[in-house]
Amino acid sequence: MIPRDSQERQLLIAEHVLGLLSPEQAAEVERWLEQDDDAAQLASHWQAHWLGAAELLEPEPLPPGLWQRIERQTAEAGTRRRPVWQTLWQSPSLWRTVSAGLLVAVVLLLGPLRVPAPVYTVVLQAPGEAASPGWRITVSDRGDLQLTPLADSEYPVDRSVQFWTLADPAQGPRSLGLVNPGQPLVLPASRVGDVESGQLFELTLEPPGGSPADRPTGPVLFIGRAVAL
Amino acid sequence: MDDSRAELEQGDALVQACARGDRRAFHQLYVNEAPRMLALARRFTGDASLAEDALQDTFVQVWKNAGRFRSQRGSARTWLFGLLRYRLINQHHRSRREAFEPLPGDQWPDPGPSPEQCSLENDQRRAIIDCLQTLQMDRRRPILMAFYQGFTYEQIADTLAVPLGTIKSRVRSGLKGLQECLRL
Repeated sequence: MIPRDSQERQLLIAEHVLGLLSPEQAAEVERWLEQDDDAAQLASHWQAHWLGAAELLEPEPLPPGLWQRIERQTAEAGTRRRPVWQTLWQSPSLWRTVSAGLLVAVVLLLGPLRVPAPVYTVVLQAPGEAASPGWRITVSDRGDLQLTPLADSEYPVDRSVQFWTLADPAQGPRSLGLVNPGQPLVLPASRVGDVESGQLFELTLEPPGGSPADRPTGPVLFIGRAVAL
Repeated sequence: MDDSRAELEQGDALVQACARGDRRAFHQLYVNEAPRMLALARRFTGDASLAEDALQDTFVQVWKNAGRFRSQRGSARTWLFGLLRYRLINQHHRSRREAFEPLPGDQWPDPGPSPEQCSLENDQRRAIIDCLQTLQMDRRRPILMAFYQGFTYEQIADTLAVPLGTIKSRVRSGLKGLQECLRL
Protein backbone atom coordinates (compact mmCIF):
# COMPACT_ATOMS: atom_id res chain seq x y z
CA MET A 1 0.00 0.00 0.00
CA ILE A 2 1.47 3.36 -1.03
CA PRO A 3 1.18 5.72 1.98
CA ARG A 4 -0.64 9.03 1.68
CA ASP A 5 1.75 10.96 3.89
CA SER A 6 4.33 12.70 1.71
CA GLN A 7 7.22 12.10 4.12
CA GLU A 8 6.38 8.39 4.24
CA ARG A 9 6.17 8.31 0.45
CA GLN A 10 9.60 9.86 0.14
CA LEU A 11 11.08 7.38 2.58
CA LEU A 12 9.46 4.51 0.70
CA ILE A 13 11.16 5.65 -2.51
CA ALA A 14 14.51 5.90 -0.70
CA GLU A 15 14.06 2.36 0.67
CA HIS A 16 13.08 1.12 -2.80
CA VAL A 17 16.17 2.58 -4.46
CA LEU A 18 18.31 0.90 -1.79
CA GLY A 19 16.59 -2.44 -2.47
CA LEU A 20 15.20 -2.79 1.04
CA LEU A 21 11.61 -3.61 0.10
CA SER A 22 10.08 -7.06 -0.28
CA PRO A 23 9.47 -8.23 -3.89
CA GLU A 24 5.75 -7.51 -3.52
CA GLN A 25 6.33 -4.02 -2.12
CA ALA A 26 8.96 -3.32 -4.77
CA ALA A 27 6.57 -4.35 -7.56
CA GLU A 28 3.90 -2.03 -6.15
CA VAL A 29 6.37 0.87 -5.95
CA GLU A 30 7.55 0.20 -9.51
CA ARG A 31 3.97 0.47 -10.75
CA TRP A 32 3.54 3.69 -8.77
CA LEU A 33 6.71 5.17 -10.26
CA GLU A 34 5.42 4.41 -13.76
CA GLN A 35 2.31 6.47 -13.07
CA ASP A 36 3.67 9.32 -10.95
CA ASP A 37 6.27 11.55 -12.61
CA ASP A 38 7.18 13.35 -9.38
CA ALA A 39 7.82 10.07 -7.58
CA ALA A 40 9.82 8.76 -10.56
CA GLN A 41 11.89 11.94 -10.57
CA LEU A 42 12.68 11.57 -6.87
CA ALA A 43 13.77 7.98 -7.47
CA SER A 44 16.03 9.18 -10.31
CA HIS A 45 17.58 11.80 -8.03
CA TRP A 46 18.33 9.15 -5.40
CA GLN A 47 19.91 6.89 -8.03
CA ALA A 48 22.05 9.74 -9.34
CA HIS A 49 23.22 10.56 -5.82
CA TRP A 50 24.03 6.93 -5.01
CA LEU A 51 26.25 6.78 -8.07
CA GLY A 52 28.74 8.75 -6.01
CA ALA A 53 28.89 5.92 -3.47
CA ALA A 54 29.42 3.37 -6.24
CA GLU A 55 32.30 5.45 -7.55
CA LEU A 56 34.14 5.02 -4.25
CA LEU A 57 34.77 1.39 -5.19
CA GLU A 58 38.05 0.53 -6.82
CA PRO A 59 37.49 -0.71 -10.39
CA GLU A 60 38.27 -4.41 -10.74
CA PRO A 61 40.09 -6.10 -13.62
CA LEU A 62 37.66 -7.62 -16.09
CA PRO A 63 37.85 -11.40 -16.39
CA PRO A 64 39.03 -12.75 -19.74
CA GLY A 65 36.23 -14.13 -21.85
CA LEU A 66 33.46 -12.01 -20.34
CA TRP A 67 33.34 -9.57 -23.25
CA GLN A 68 33.28 -12.47 -25.72
CA ARG A 69 30.28 -13.96 -23.91
CA ILE A 70 28.47 -10.62 -24.05
CA GLU A 71 29.34 -10.28 -27.74
CA ARG A 72 27.95 -13.72 -28.53
CA GLN A 73 24.75 -13.09 -26.60
CA THR A 74 24.14 -9.70 -28.21
CA ALA A 75 25.01 -10.83 -31.73
CA GLU A 76 21.44 -12.03 -32.25
CA ALA A 77 20.01 -8.70 -31.10
CA GLY A 78 22.36 -6.96 -33.52
CA THR A 79 20.66 -8.61 -36.47
CA ARG A 80 17.57 -6.44 -35.98
CA ARG A 81 18.97 -3.74 -38.25
CA ARG A 82 19.71 -6.12 -41.13
CA PRO A 83 17.60 -6.54 -44.26
CA VAL A 84 14.30 -8.31 -43.80
CA TRP A 85 15.33 -11.49 -45.67
CA GLN A 86 18.49 -11.71 -43.56
CA THR A 87 16.58 -11.03 -40.36
CA LEU A 88 14.09 -13.76 -41.22
CA TRP A 89 16.87 -16.15 -42.19
CA GLN A 90 18.54 -15.61 -38.82
CA SER A 91 15.32 -15.35 -36.85
CA PRO A 92 15.03 -17.83 -33.98
CA SER A 93 11.24 -17.74 -34.34
CA LEU A 94 11.48 -18.71 -38.03
CA TRP A 95 13.78 -21.59 -37.23
CA ARG A 96 11.65 -22.44 -34.20
CA THR A 97 8.68 -22.70 -36.56
CA VAL A 98 10.65 -24.70 -39.10
CA SER A 99 12.05 -26.90 -36.34
CA ALA A 100 8.59 -27.39 -34.89
CA GLY A 101 7.35 -28.49 -38.31
CA LEU A 102 10.23 -30.90 -38.69
CA LEU A 103 9.67 -32.21 -35.18
CA VAL A 104 6.00 -32.80 -35.92
CA ALA A 105 7.05 -34.78 -38.99
CA VAL A 106 9.54 -36.79 -36.96
CA VAL A 107 6.97 -37.42 -34.24
CA LEU A 108 4.46 -38.59 -36.81
CA LEU A 109 7.06 -40.95 -38.20
CA LEU A 110 8.79 -42.12 -35.06
CA GLY A 111 6.36 -41.77 -32.18
CA PRO A 112 5.66 -39.47 -29.23
CA LEU A 113 7.84 -36.47 -28.52
CA ARG A 114 9.59 -36.09 -25.18
CA VAL A 115 7.97 -33.63 -22.80
CA PRO A 116 10.00 -30.37 -22.82
CA ALA A 117 11.85 -29.90 -19.55
CA PRO A 118 10.96 -26.78 -17.52
CA VAL A 119 13.83 -24.35 -17.12
CA TYR A 120 12.06 -21.71 -15.05
CA THR A 121 9.31 -21.92 -12.51
CA VAL A 122 7.32 -19.25 -10.74
CA VAL A 123 4.98 -19.67 -7.79
CA LEU A 124 2.41 -16.90 -7.78
CA GLN A 125 1.23 -15.97 -4.31
CA ALA A 126 -1.25 -13.49 -2.97
CA PRO A 127 0.69 -10.39 -1.81
CA GLY A 128 1.84 -10.88 1.76
CA GLU A 129 0.64 -14.50 1.90
CA ALA A 130 3.75 -16.55 1.25
CA ALA A 131 2.06 -19.74 2.43
CA SER A 132 -0.78 -19.46 -0.09
CA PRO A 133 0.39 -20.30 -3.60
CA GLY A 134 -2.39 -19.62 -6.08
CA TRP A 135 -0.85 -20.39 -9.46
CA ARG A 136 2.28 -22.02 -10.83
CA ILE A 137 4.12 -21.03 -14.00
CA THR A 138 6.58 -23.28 -15.81
CA VAL A 139 8.66 -22.16 -18.78
CA SER A 140 10.04 -24.97 -20.91
CA ASP A 141 13.43 -25.14 -22.57
CA ARG A 142 11.61 -24.15 -25.78
CA GLY A 143 10.37 -20.99 -24.09
CA ASP A 144 6.70 -22.02 -23.92
CA LEU A 145 4.87 -20.98 -20.77
CA GLN A 146 2.21 -22.89 -18.87
CA LEU A 147 0.12 -21.21 -16.17
CA THR A 148 -1.61 -23.68 -13.85
CA PRO A 149 -4.06 -22.94 -11.01
CA LEU A 150 -3.06 -24.50 -7.69
CA ALA A 151 -6.05 -23.52 -5.60
CA ASP A 152 -9.67 -22.57 -6.02
CA SER A 153 -10.00 -18.82 -5.78
CA GLU A 154 -13.05 -16.62 -6.12
CA TYR A 155 -12.98 -13.68 -8.51
CA PRO A 156 -15.65 -11.01 -9.12
CA VAL A 157 -17.69 -12.08 -12.14
CA ASP A 158 -17.84 -8.54 -13.52
CA ARG A 159 -14.04 -8.15 -13.73
CA SER A 160 -11.24 -9.70 -15.79
CA VAL A 161 -8.06 -11.33 -14.56
CA GLN A 162 -5.03 -10.18 -16.57
CA PHE A 163 -1.59 -11.77 -16.76
CA TRP A 164 1.51 -9.52 -16.82
CA THR A 165 5.27 -9.77 -16.81
CA LEU A 166 7.98 -7.24 -16.01
CA ALA A 167 11.53 -8.04 -17.08
CA ASP A 168 12.96 -4.55 -17.03
CA PRO A 169 11.44 -1.45 -15.41
CA ALA A 170 12.72 0.61 -18.34
CA GLN A 171 10.35 -1.31 -20.60
CA GLY A 172 7.46 -1.42 -18.14
CA PRO A 173 5.02 -4.27 -17.63
CA ARG A 174 3.86 -6.28 -20.64
CA SER A 175 0.46 -7.93 -20.86
CA LEU A 176 0.40 -11.65 -21.55
CA GLY A 177 -3.37 -11.62 -22.00
CA LEU A 178 -6.47 -12.45 -20.00
CA VAL A 179 -6.80 -15.52 -17.82
CA ASN A 180 -9.91 -17.60 -17.24
CA PRO A 181 -10.10 -18.05 -13.46
CA GLY A 182 -9.34 -21.62 -12.48
CA GLN A 183 -8.31 -22.56 -16.02
CA PRO A 184 -4.77 -23.39 -17.16
CA LEU A 185 -3.22 -21.27 -19.90
CA VAL A 186 -0.47 -22.15 -22.36
CA LEU A 187 1.44 -19.42 -24.21
CA PRO A 188 3.98 -19.96 -27.01
CA ALA A 189 7.53 -18.67 -26.70
CA SER A 190 6.83 -16.04 -29.36
CA ARG A 191 4.22 -14.49 -27.07
CA VAL A 192 6.20 -14.85 -23.85
CA GLY A 193 9.56 -13.48 -25.05
CA ASP A 194 12.81 -14.04 -23.22
CA VAL A 195 12.49 -15.11 -19.59
CA GLU A 196 15.24 -14.46 -17.09
CA SER A 197 15.85 -15.28 -13.44
CA GLY A 198 14.08 -12.83 -11.18
CA GLN A 199 11.58 -11.78 -13.86
CA LEU A 200 8.31 -10.65 -12.32
CA PHE A 201 4.94 -12.22 -13.21
CA GLU A 202 1.60 -11.19 -11.77
CA LEU A 203 -2.16 -11.49 -12.13
CA THR A 204 -4.21 -8.35 -11.59
CA LEU A 205 -7.93 -7.67 -11.36
CA GLU A 206 -8.98 -5.38 -14.21
CA PRO A 207 -12.14 -3.96 -15.79
CA PRO A 208 -14.04 -6.34 -18.10
CA GLY A 209 -11.92 -7.05 -21.16
CA GLY A 210 -8.68 -6.06 -19.48
CA SER A 211 -6.77 -2.97 -18.47
CA PRO A 212 -7.71 0.15 -20.44
CA ALA A 213 -4.02 1.19 -20.37
CA ASP A 214 -0.83 -0.58 -21.37
CA ARG A 215 -0.11 -1.26 -17.71
CA PRO A 216 -1.95 -2.82 -14.76
CA THR A 217 -4.59 -0.56 -13.24
CA GLY A 218 -6.18 -2.89 -10.70
CA PRO A 219 -5.03 -4.66 -7.54
CA VAL A 220 -2.47 -7.44 -7.64
CA LEU A 221 -4.08 -10.83 -7.01
CA PHE A 222 -0.99 -13.03 -7.30
CA ILE A 223 2.67 -12.24 -7.84
CA GLY A 224 5.98 -14.08 -8.07
CA ARG A 225 9.42 -14.13 -9.67
CA ALA A 226 11.04 -16.61 -12.04
CA VAL A 227 13.50 -19.07 -10.55
CA ALA A 228 15.89 -21.03 -12.78
CA LEU A 229 15.73 -24.80 -12.32
CA MET B 1 34.76 20.98 -18.34
CA ASP B 2 36.16 18.72 -15.61
CA ASP B 3 37.17 15.12 -16.30
CA SER B 4 34.26 13.50 -14.51
CA ARG B 5 31.73 15.62 -16.39
CA ALA B 6 33.43 14.72 -19.67
CA GLU B 7 33.32 11.03 -18.70
CA LEU B 8 29.59 11.19 -18.04
CA GLU B 9 28.92 12.93 -21.33
CA GLN B 10 31.03 10.39 -23.18
CA GLY B 11 28.95 7.63 -21.57
CA ASP B 12 25.74 9.28 -22.78
CA ALA B 13 27.12 9.50 -26.32
CA LEU B 14 28.25 5.87 -26.25
CA VAL B 15 24.84 4.58 -25.19
CA GLN B 16 23.20 6.68 -27.90
CA ALA B 17 25.63 5.16 -30.42
CA CYS B 18 24.72 1.67 -29.13
CA ALA B 19 21.11 2.48 -29.95
CA ARG B 20 22.23 3.01 -33.56
CA GLY B 21 23.90 -0.42 -33.57
CA ASP B 22 27.49 0.77 -33.10
CA ARG B 23 29.37 -2.26 -31.75
CA ARG B 24 32.60 -0.32 -31.19
CA ALA B 25 30.78 2.15 -28.98
CA PHE B 26 29.31 -0.79 -27.07
CA HIS B 27 32.78 -2.19 -26.46
CA GLN B 28 34.10 1.19 -25.37
CA LEU B 29 31.20 1.56 -22.94
CA TYR B 30 32.07 -1.86 -21.51
CA VAL B 31 35.76 -0.93 -21.15
CA ASN B 32 34.88 2.35 -19.44
CA GLU B 33 32.12 1.24 -17.08
CA ALA B 34 32.34 -2.51 -16.47
CA PRO B 35 35.35 -2.52 -14.07
CA ARG B 36 33.55 -0.47 -11.41
CA MET B 37 30.24 -2.22 -12.07
CA LEU B 38 32.02 -5.53 -11.50
CA ALA B 39 33.37 -4.22 -8.19
CA LEU B 40 29.83 -3.36 -7.06
CA ALA B 41 28.40 -6.69 -8.27
CA ARG B 42 31.13 -8.70 -6.57
CA ARG B 43 30.66 -6.91 -3.29
CA PHE B 44 26.88 -7.26 -3.61
CA THR B 45 26.89 -11.00 -4.37
CA GLY B 46 30.05 -12.00 -2.49
CA ASP B 47 30.73 -14.35 -5.40
CA ALA B 48 32.89 -13.62 -8.47
CA SER B 49 30.94 -15.97 -10.74
CA LEU B 50 27.53 -14.50 -9.81
CA ALA B 51 28.96 -11.01 -10.22
CA GLU B 52 30.15 -11.83 -13.76
CA ASP B 53 26.75 -13.30 -14.65
CA ALA B 54 24.99 -10.16 -13.43
CA LEU B 55 27.37 -7.94 -15.38
CA GLN B 56 26.89 -10.02 -18.54
CA ASP B 57 23.10 -9.89 -18.23
CA THR B 58 23.22 -6.14 -17.61
CA PHE B 59 25.29 -5.39 -20.72
CA VAL B 60 23.01 -7.59 -22.82
CA GLN B 61 20.09 -5.49 -21.52
CA VAL B 62 22.02 -2.31 -22.33
CA TRP B 63 22.50 -3.41 -25.94
CA LYS B 64 18.88 -4.45 -26.35
CA ASN B 65 17.44 -1.35 -24.67
CA ALA B 66 19.90 1.40 -25.53
CA GLY B 67 17.19 3.11 -27.56
CA ARG B 68 15.18 3.60 -24.38
CA PHE B 69 17.91 5.59 -22.64
CA ARG B 70 16.95 9.25 -22.12
CA SER B 71 19.83 11.50 -21.11
CA GLN B 72 17.46 14.14 -19.69
CA ARG B 73 16.45 11.65 -16.98
CA GLY B 74 20.03 11.07 -15.82
CA SER B 75 23.45 10.05 -17.04
CA ALA B 76 24.18 6.81 -18.86
CA ARG B 77 26.28 5.75 -15.89
CA THR B 78 23.32 6.19 -13.55
CA TRP B 79 21.21 4.15 -15.98
CA LEU B 80 23.81 1.37 -16.18
CA PHE B 81 24.23 1.12 -12.41
CA GLY B 82 20.44 1.22 -12.02
CA LEU B 83 20.04 -1.75 -14.38
CA LEU B 84 22.79 -3.65 -12.57
CA ARG B 85 21.37 -3.04 -9.11
CA TYR B 86 17.85 -3.94 -10.28
CA ARG B 87 19.16 -7.27 -11.54
CA LEU B 88 21.19 -7.94 -8.40
CA ILE B 89 18.30 -7.13 -6.09
CA ASN B 90 15.79 -9.19 -8.06
CA GLN B 91 17.98 -12.23 -8.20
CA HIS B 92 18.42 -12.12 -4.43
CA HIS B 93 22.09 -12.72 -4.83
CA ARG B 94 22.73 -11.48 -1.35
CA SER B 95 25.64 -12.94 0.53
CA ARG B 96 26.55 -12.73 4.17
CA ARG B 97 30.03 -14.10 3.62
CA GLU B 98 31.67 -10.71 3.56
CA ALA B 99 29.48 -9.07 6.13
CA PHE B 100 32.41 -7.56 7.96
CA GLU B 101 34.43 -6.66 4.91
CA PRO B 102 35.33 -3.00 5.29
CA LEU B 103 32.89 -0.75 3.45
CA PRO B 104 33.69 2.57 1.88
CA GLY B 105 32.73 5.01 4.61
CA ASP B 106 33.78 2.86 7.54
CA GLN B 107 36.86 4.98 8.05
CA TRP B 108 34.98 8.27 8.12
CA PRO B 109 34.84 10.05 11.48
CA ASP B 110 31.71 9.66 13.55
CA PRO B 111 29.97 12.05 13.18
CA GLY B 112 31.40 14.04 10.29
CA PRO B 113 30.54 17.56 9.25
CA SER B 114 27.10 18.94 10.08
CA PRO B 115 24.41 19.05 7.37
CA GLU B 116 25.03 22.77 7.02
CA GLN B 117 28.56 22.01 5.93
CA CYS B 118 27.45 19.79 3.06
CA SER B 119 28.64 21.00 -0.28
CA LEU B 120 25.65 20.50 -2.51
CA GLU B 121 26.35 22.82 -5.38
CA ASN B 122 26.35 20.93 -8.60
CA ASP B 123 27.78 17.57 -7.89
CA GLN B 124 25.17 15.06 -6.80
CA ARG B 125 27.74 12.32 -6.68
CA ARG B 126 29.95 14.20 -4.24
CA ALA B 127 26.95 15.32 -2.20
CA ILE B 128 25.97 11.81 -1.15
CA ILE B 129 29.45 11.27 0.30
CA ASP B 130 29.31 14.55 2.18
CA CYS B 131 25.85 13.77 3.50
CA LEU B 132 26.67 10.19 4.50
CA GLN B 133 29.46 11.62 6.61
CA THR B 134 26.96 13.65 8.59
CA LEU B 135 25.24 10.47 9.83
CA GLN B 136 26.12 8.66 13.02
CA MET B 137 27.83 5.34 12.35
CA ASP B 138 24.84 3.35 13.63
CA ARG B 139 22.69 4.99 10.91
CA ARG B 140 25.33 5.05 8.21
CA ARG B 141 26.58 1.49 8.37
CA PRO B 142 23.24 -0.32 7.81
CA ILE B 143 22.52 2.00 4.87
CA LEU B 144 25.91 1.21 3.37
CA MET B 145 25.34 -2.53 3.95
CA ALA B 146 22.12 -2.25 1.95
CA PHE B 147 23.75 -0.31 -0.85
CA TYR B 148 27.03 -2.18 -1.24
CA GLN B 149 26.05 -5.67 -0.10
CA GLY B 150 22.38 -5.80 -0.97
CA PHE B 151 21.42 -6.79 2.55
CA THR B 152 17.75 -6.86 3.50
CA TYR B 153 16.54 -5.39 6.79
CA GLU B 154 16.57 -8.90 8.27
CA GLN B 155 20.12 -9.62 7.13
CA ILE B 156 21.37 -6.31 8.49
CA ALA B 157 19.68 -7.00 11.84
CA ASP B 158 21.16 -10.53 11.99
CA THR B 159 24.64 -9.40 11.01
CA LEU B 160 24.78 -6.52 13.47
CA ALA B 161 22.89 -8.49 16.14
CA VAL B 162 20.44 -5.64 16.58
CA PRO B 163 16.64 -6.08 16.77
CA LEU B 164 14.87 -5.77 13.41
CA GLY B 165 12.66 -2.90 14.56
CA THR B 166 15.70 -0.96 15.75
CA ILE B 167 17.46 -1.46 12.41
CA LYS B 168 14.40 -0.31 10.45
CA SER B 169 14.13 2.73 12.65
CA ARG B 170 17.84 3.58 12.26
CA VAL B 171 17.80 3.12 8.48
CA ARG B 172 14.71 5.25 8.05
CA SER B 173 16.14 7.90 10.35
CA GLY B 174 19.38 7.84 8.35
CA LEU B 175 17.52 8.08 5.04
CA LYS B 176 15.52 11.02 6.35
CA GLY B 177 18.76 12.71 7.35
CA LEU B 178 20.22 12.08 3.91
CA GLN B 179 17.11 13.39 2.24
CA GLU B 180 17.27 16.62 4.22
CA CYS B 181 20.98 17.00 3.62
CA LEU B 182 20.55 16.35 -0.12
CA ARG B 183 17.57 18.75 -0.25
CA LEU B 184 15.47 16.08 -1.97
